[in-house]
Amino acid sequence: MNRLGRASVLAMLGIVTGSLLINGGYGAFVQQRMFLPLVAAAVVLVAFSGYEVYHAIQAEKTDAEAQWWSFGPTVGWLMVLPLVVLFAVAPSALGAAAANRVDAFNPIEQTEAFPALDTSAGPVEMRVFDFLDRALWDPDESLRDVPVRLEGLVVNDPDVPDGFLLTKFMVSCCAADGLPLQVAVRGVDQILEDDTWVVADVIWREPEIPYSEAGAVVIVDAEAISVTAQPNARKDPYESPY
Amino acid sequence: MSNDVSPGTESAATTAQADTTEACELHDHHEHEGHDHHHDHGHDHSDHGHGRARVRRPIDPIFLAILVVMVLLARGRIPFLANDTVRLWATLFVSISFQALPFLVLGVVISGLIAAYVSPDLVRRLVPKRTIFAVPSAGLAGLALPGCECGSVPIAGRLVATGTPPAAALTFLLAAPAINPVVMISTAVAFPNDRMMVVARFAASLTAAIAVGTWWARRQGENLLDSVSDLHEHHDSKLERFIDVASRDLVHAGGYLVVGALAAATLQLVVPRSILDTVASNEVLSVIVLALLAVLLSICSEADAFVAAGLPQFSLTSRLVFLVVGPVIDIKLVAMHAGVFGRAFAARFAPVTLIVAITAAVIAGQVLL
Repeated sequence: MNRLGRASVLAMLGIVTGSLLINGGYGAFVQQRMFLPLVAAAVVLVAFSGYEVYHAIQAEKTDAEAQWWSFGPTVGWLMVLPLVVLFAVAPSALGAAAANRVDAFNPIEQTEAFPALDTSAGPVEMRVFDFLDRALWDPDESLRDVPVRLEGLVVNDPDVPDGFLLTKFMVSCCAADGLPLQVAVRGVDQILEDDTWVVADVIWREPEIPYSEAGAVVIVDAEAISVTAQPNARKDPYESPY
Repeated sequence: MSNDVSPGTESAATTAQADTTEACELHDHHEHEGHDHHHDHGHDHSDHGHGRARVRRPIDPIFLAILVVMVLLARGRIPFLANDTVRLWATLFVSISFQALPFLVLGVVISGLIAAYVSPDLVRRLVPKRTIFAVPSAGLAGLALPGCECGSVPIAGRLVATGTPPAAALTFLLAAPAINPVVMISTAVAFPNDRMMVVARFAASLTAAIAVGTWWARRQGENLLDSVSDLHEHHDSKLERFIDVASRDLVHAGGYLVVGALAAATLQLVVPRSILDTVASNEVLSVIVLALLAVLLSICSEADAFVAAGLPQFSLTSRLVFLVVGPVIDIKLVAMHAGVFGRAFAARFAPVTLIVAITAAVIAGQVLL
């Protein structure tokens, strides 16, 4: 790897990272809190490559041999592979294909009390994680008969014939550690494709299974389902465990 | 080239430093030769008037441009690339590479700063003379680097090249990704009802790092410098040296990180998670399976606690094994160790680290959980 080769690898990494940060595409791969570290990384990469290109040109003026010196191992070229895959496949955020591979994740029992819900302004907007947490672990059953608005993607499942599994992924670092959070929504009168993003107004009525049992599926009744932006247009498709 | 320098002793640092200039010139050829420590080192001296190895097959940036055009033409025209599993694989591969990037950049910036601004004399004064003090203090120094394992590999390599006893640098390499504050906090968040998990993880990880460091210090005749040493000369300024070393370490460690990410993304899709439930009931089996899973999945140390929390069918001890093994040894790290320290090193280091980490975690689990 010569000096210009190294500089061009760094520049490509920096520029592609920068463009993913600007158009929001990074959200499909990493948690939102990685934004600033990635900005810093992109700036460093572009600055390094700029410095290197300048010095490569200067060095060649004084020594025609300079371009043949080694400035890094051949394996360094592999760093363009993620960029090649990114452009060739255009991978999307985790969806039904990923959810079907693993068991759904349920929040672990919390000992802290749940704050009261404000139901005065229509359906309560909640993260799927918080909803599951309350449904599974609140001894006072504060969710019972309360209209709740959830957002997530559709995963069709034979166990939920008249609805779907509303799914959102909990991602703490990157998509590779994503775990699906799922709520079974029943009583849906329309057929929705896998990976369709929906806003669902739902009501949790009866705890059909004991709420202390880990690994349980929370079942809710659909009130209203509306399709929202498609997954690739979304900037934050994941929930954070924090 | 002296392969008989004994690391971990005071004289090693001095001797090693003298060797570095010679070793570094051959660094790149070393890459091509598959990291054989005992390879012929004298075959290239006539070739470089400037003390730098020449690139054997220079690749012009123009090829990169052609590659980009070809990739853009391929997009959407190959049905294979639209397959669900291929697309999921691509998401996993890109996300592992992408999330490691800031940690890798932080790591190489630190390693570049060490190379340009920290003299071997300073290192010798800062690192305690005796291994018995140097190794544990290097382990505790791991507390200060908030990052994951990808960043600590180039830093450890640079520490060795700057004259730190290899045993201390390796202890730092193992401890930093396992016991830093971010990892401890994420463990506490993931196990809200098992607070002792944080204590047990800290104790087992630090113990394992120190144990492996001590084991390495006792080995005689090991020389890591063949692989990690680098250019020392021909830099006009400290800034130029800083940027050259940081960039060099970045493409070096980064290339191997990509190899690891390829393996990890592939294995995530190959390992059927459904078999996990059947082994979870057996304590011994579940320890072994979760240790292997930690190696195969190669999850970032800042995220692995949540994955462990997502395996409630397994005992706390076996999940502790998962948390202690993952940051110190996994597929991605083996690729990086082989790249930065040489294949022979990785082949010895990986099994010892795995066994020590499992043992430390099982003991900590029995005592603390």
